[in-house]
Amino acid sequence: MVAVIKDIINTISAPIYSFSTLLILFCVGFKYYRVVGTKKFGLIALGIFSVLFGLFLSDDNFYKNVTAPDNIPILMLIMSVGFFTWYAIFKAACNDVRIEAGLEPEENTEKERQKVWVWPNLVYIELIAMVAFCAFLIVWGILIPAPLEESANPTWAPNPAKAPWYFLGLQEMLVYFDPWIAGVVLPGLIIIGLILIPYIDPNPKGSGYYTFMQRKLAMFMFLFGWIVLWVYLILIGTFLRGPNWSFFGPFEPWDIHKVTAASNINLSEYFWVLALGTTMPQNIFAREFLGILLLLFYLTVPIIFVTKLWGKELLKKMGAIRYYLTAFLVLGMMSLPIKMYLRWFFNLKYIIAISEFELNL
Amino acid sequence: MKHEPGMAYNLNNLHKIFAVVSIILLLTVVWMMLDDFIRPWKGVQVKAMKVEGQVLSKKIKVQNKLIDQTKLKKLTANLKHAKKQVLSNGLKIKNVEADLLKLKGKQHREKIINSKYSSLLAQLTYQFEVKNKLDLLDKLGKYKSLLEKSNDQIKEYKSRFNKLKNKLSELKKEEIKAKKELEKVTGVKNRLIEAQKKTDPTTPVWLLRNAPFFDYLDPTLKISQIVLGNITEDRYFRQVPRVDRCITCHTFIDKKGFESQKNPFKTHPRLSLILGENSPHPIKKIGCTICHGGEGNRMQDFIAAGHTPSTIKQKKQWENSYNWHKAIHITRPMYKLKHTEAGCLKCHQGVDDITYATHLNKGRKLIRTYGCNGCHKIKGWEHFQKSGPSLVSIKDKISKQFFKNWVLNPRDFNPKAKMPSFFGQTNNSKDQFLKRNITEINALTEYILTKSKKYSPFVQYQQGDPNTGKNLISTVGCLGCHQVESISKGPYNKVKSRAGSYLTALGSKVNPDWLVSRLLRPVHYQASTVMPSFRLSNIEANNIASYLLSFKNNKFQSLPFGPIDKSTRDELLLEYLSVLDTKKGARAKLATLSDAERTLELGHRSVSKYGCFACHNLLGFADKTPIGPELTRVGSKPISQIAFGRQTIEHKRDVWFSSHLKNPRIWDQGTAKSFRDLQRMPNFNLPTKEIEALTIALLAQVSQKIPLEGIKRLSPNEHLTEKANKVMNIYNCRGCHEIDGQGGEIQKIYAKDLNFGPTRLGQEGKRVRSTWLHQFLQNVYKVRPALKIRMPSFNLTNEQRNQITRGLQAKANVSTFENNSLELVWESGQKEATIELFDELACNSCHTIGFSDIEAIAPDLHYAYNRLRPQWILNWLQNPTEVLDYTVMPNFWFDGESQEDEIMDGDPTRQMEALLKYIKSLSYNKFQKAD
Repeated sequence: MVAVIKDIINTISAPIYSFSTLLILFCVGFKYYRVVGTKKFGLIALGIFSVLFGLFLSDDNFYKNVTAPDNIPILMLIMSVGFFTWYAIFKAACNDVRIEAGLEPEENTEKERQKVWVWPNLVYIELIAMVAFCAFLIVWGILIPAPLEESANPTWAPNPAKAPWYFLGLQEMLVYFDPWIAGVVLPGLIIIGLILIPYIDPNPKGSGYYTFMQRKLAMFMFLFGWIVLWVYLILIGTFLRGPNWSFFGPFEPWDIHKVTAASNINLSEYFWVLALGTTMPQNIFAREFLGILLLLFYLTVPIIFVTKLWGKELLKKMGAIRYYLTAFLVLGMMSLPIKMYLRWFFNLKYIIAISEFELNL
Repeated sequence: MKHEPGMAYNLNNLHKIFAVVSIILLLTVVWMMLDDFIRPWKGVQVKAMKVEGQVLSKKIKVQNKLIDQTKLKKLTANLKHAKKQVLSNGLKIKNVEADLLKLKGKQHREKIINSKYSSLLAQLTYQFEVKNKLDLLDKLGKYKSLLEKSNDQIKEYKSRFNKLKNKLSELKKEEIKAKKELEKVTGVKNRLIEAQKKTDPTTPVWLLRNAPFFDYLDPTLKISQIVLGNITEDRYFRQVPRVDRCITCHTFIDKKGFESQKNPFKTHPRLSLILGENSPHPIKKIGCTICHGGEGNRMQDFIAAGHTPSTIKQKKQWENSYNWHKAIHITRPMYKLKHTEAGCLKCHQGVDDITYATHLNKGRKLIRTYGCNGCHKIKGWEHFQKSGPSLVSIKDKISKQFFKNWVLNPRDFNPKAKMPSFFGQTNNSKDQFLKRNITEINALTEYILTKSKKYSPFVQYQQGDPNTGKNLISTVGCLGCHQVESISKGPYNKVKSRAGSYLTALGSKVNPDWLVSRLLRPVHYQASTVMPSFRLSNIEANNIASYLLSFKNNKFQSLPFGPIDKSTRDELLLEYLSVLDTKKGARAKLATLSDAERTLELGHRSVSKYGCFACHNLLGFADKTPIGPELTRVGSKPISQIAFGRQTIEHKRDVWFSSHLKNPRIWDQGTAKSFRDLQRMPNFNLPTKEIEALTIALLAQVSQKIPLEGIKRLSPNEHLTEKANKVMNIYNCRGCHEIDGQGGEIQKIYAKDLNFGPTRLGQEGKRVRSTWLHQFLQNVYKVRPALKIRMPSFNLTNEQRNQITRGLQAKANVSTFENNSLELVWESGQKEATIELFDELACNSCHTIGFSDIEAIAPDLHYAYNRLRPQWILNWLQNPTEVLDYTVMPNFWFDGESQEDEIMDGDPTRQMEALLKYIKSLSYNKFQKAD
């Protein structure tokens, strides 16, 4: 019985299922954020998480994986991300109720707007936090010593060779993208996008107080990019990727000899070889014309379509440059889940595959 | 809650919180310091002090017993008396002591002044000479004279000081003398007590030196290490000296006197060979991990160093006492203690046998015996011949039926066959596989026999006398290489020769004519054979053959062996043919082959598949690469690259080796392999002890590179010795001769009287002349007339004879020619006296040949001078048992005194030299005569 449940959990943790589940949960949670943003929900969620985590710990493989000194900070990350996300939603939900009732947000009340001294109110607390955190780090360092490994050997990389935990999301992206895209273009877009946020989002609402209702689009974009894409990929990369970067369920032992069938096919191969049954054209552009067309289509049609349907007002509000920049960044972000699904459903390797110039998309 | 204006918090509360977290931080810092301070090895070192204290107190007890108490009392009384006597000079002594003290002060002052002058002078000299400040010349002169004066003063003080000292000791003369005498008796004990005091870890000074925060100054508890300049560690980007810190806990590993302690306080066994200061492996040059493996630089705990338990019992014990668990991230765990000899090979390269590494040598010998190096390339083993007999002319040796049944399972016929079993194993005994195996055997037999060359024995077998034959086998020397099933009782029980085949039921196996021919001239059948000729007569050979052929194995003989199944054969061939072709193409190709051709084709492919050519000479397979993977570096193969299949055994290299040797097909269990992909390594049915030895030999094959300065490099003489050793290993000289304590299997028969067995060859180079040995190996003759065992005639090349001769000579460190040009000149009357001596000593009562018709029991003296080195003859005469402990040659000059006083004034040296001359005068060259 236990084995069967473990098997089921192992199976549904595979990215295709777990990502889809997370996506659905995210949308539902987003829609019913006022339910999520209650203390009751928070307590129930904490309870379920604790019970499940406790039960899971009784499994050897899970225990070994979760308590590895390398993975302890990631465990802390999950817990703090979970808590703070809930806390923000909770605060926002409270404020939204007040706003609907015509009141000021809590942070904006007369009492909260009183000014206090930086010293000692801020600096003293920072000092206390610093001292407490030092003590915490020392205790951590004593109880869980740094995981020293054998001396580095350039001819014998550890298997799995994992990036530092904060880069594991990027490393996970390598599964779906060419290194150029996953390692350079997408991270570049993320950084540029983060830099651009203050310039493309001049909306003064929500400044200095929690709110959900007033900033739905921004909330959606941020939480989707942060929780669903970034944190989720780090989790997968940390706990569920084993030797040879194969996928391992949380209760599965890391067997270095695990074999997973993976024969991925390029879009051009699908079109020319499998569908038409001919050889691929010599000319690169002729060969990849479908992918190039699709890319152009992706970058234009959705924007036109969305703008026509819902975006006219927004376009007016933001101005053309801001609007199209945002649209481009959003499309860039969305390319990740789209590519993931294309891989899972069609074993699609690259949409455009110009390996002659290492240009694969 | 209300706060003061401008305040979000109550400041008092903040202070309290700050105080609490600060105290917590302080406590954690203290905790961190303690965590850093308390190290497992410190505990071990404290315990080591206790152990040392115990050992010392035992020694003190022994000393106490040694000291004569009455003498001690007397000496103490003497000292007391002397002190009293000296007391009468009390005033004088006090004065002298006061003078001395004053003088010391003056000396000290003068030294300070002196050093000031000399440093100033040096500065001035520099300025004058280098900076060209010529006006300093006067100043320079002034300081020079000042310094001279001061030097003079110092000298004067010194002489005054010495005078005063002498005066003082003169005054205290009696006391000093008494003290010295007492010291002679109690000195050792006092020093031991001093040493014991140092092993007390409770003295305040000790505690302070090792206290936290103070222990950076001069702690007594500290990490000890050996830095090895000659042996480096591959840190991938550069080679760094290897650092072994094992001695931090193994405190007394290179010190005598701790042999009975428990680990880690035990002394290393055999200090004279390993770790001892004068041993070939001194601890400062070799360290620990180069032999034992392990991470010698890691100190944090017991596991980090790579300790590996030898047995399950030890593992449990370690789990209890050291919290031991399987280590990860350790690239080079220690060898299990029983496998330590695997560490020898990396420094002792290029030799067949490593002296003292008994277990490793045994394993390496087994590799040769079973011919592992036939299928698996191992660098440095290329000089060995194929371990199986040649199959080039096999069809005239044995029958087809025998061949097939033998290949199917050699052990059905010969329980001690060296040939391994390929079939009927755990992975291929299913019916469908067996059917295919039988077809393969049929085909390969057909192929080998069809391609086999015609061999016609040069004599015909005639029935002889089996009893005489049996007698010959057991006396002539066959047992040095072969075991004979029917001759294995009594003294023969212990002789376990394995170089040749185990002889059983030859009557069911070989062609009688072939056997007689083989016995008479082994090279006639196989030119490359290592089997020597015993120079048997026709009758002797027939007698031996009659005996061997009289044993039959009827059960084996009547084993049926089905004819080739043509459809299975075609099926197998199709599989081979379709590797590079389509099914259709393969079928077309098959159709072009005739029935016989198909069988031969499958036979050829089967021989290639099972690698028969690795052990047997077969025509047409000379260029084939062996079928097994190379083993040169198998001891360093990463664990993750070793396939443990579905076996739930410990993932360790040695465990894999031993499981693999026990049943090589075990890894196929639970796999879905097709017939073609099944494991092919045959089963040698090895006993556990041999598996252990082979495992050590395989573990030793590591890739680790030791710099040239670190490894054992053979001296020119050792190099020549090794060359000889290699030849002697090929021809199994050690089957009969014991060399340096190794080999001499057949001597076990002669345990009662070794004089009737083969000679020991340890110092053969010292004994015989090189020219004689070289010729003897070519033309063997009987040296000791009483012996029934024969030195056989080997089919050695000139080069090999040279190598043996040169090697034995190099080993004994002697030159090729010795006193060669000495002319025989008799002094007047000397010859007569010598003959008289010769008769008196009755030399010719044993060395009878040429003197009388009595059956000789000692070698012919007429050949002696050309055979033996003159210096050796003299040594031999002087004390035969010292040269050869079991000889019956009497010692005529017992204790260096002659029993014949009248001859040559009874001077032993003159007598022996005269006898040497006499032997020379008798001598003629055996080999020239033969020409």
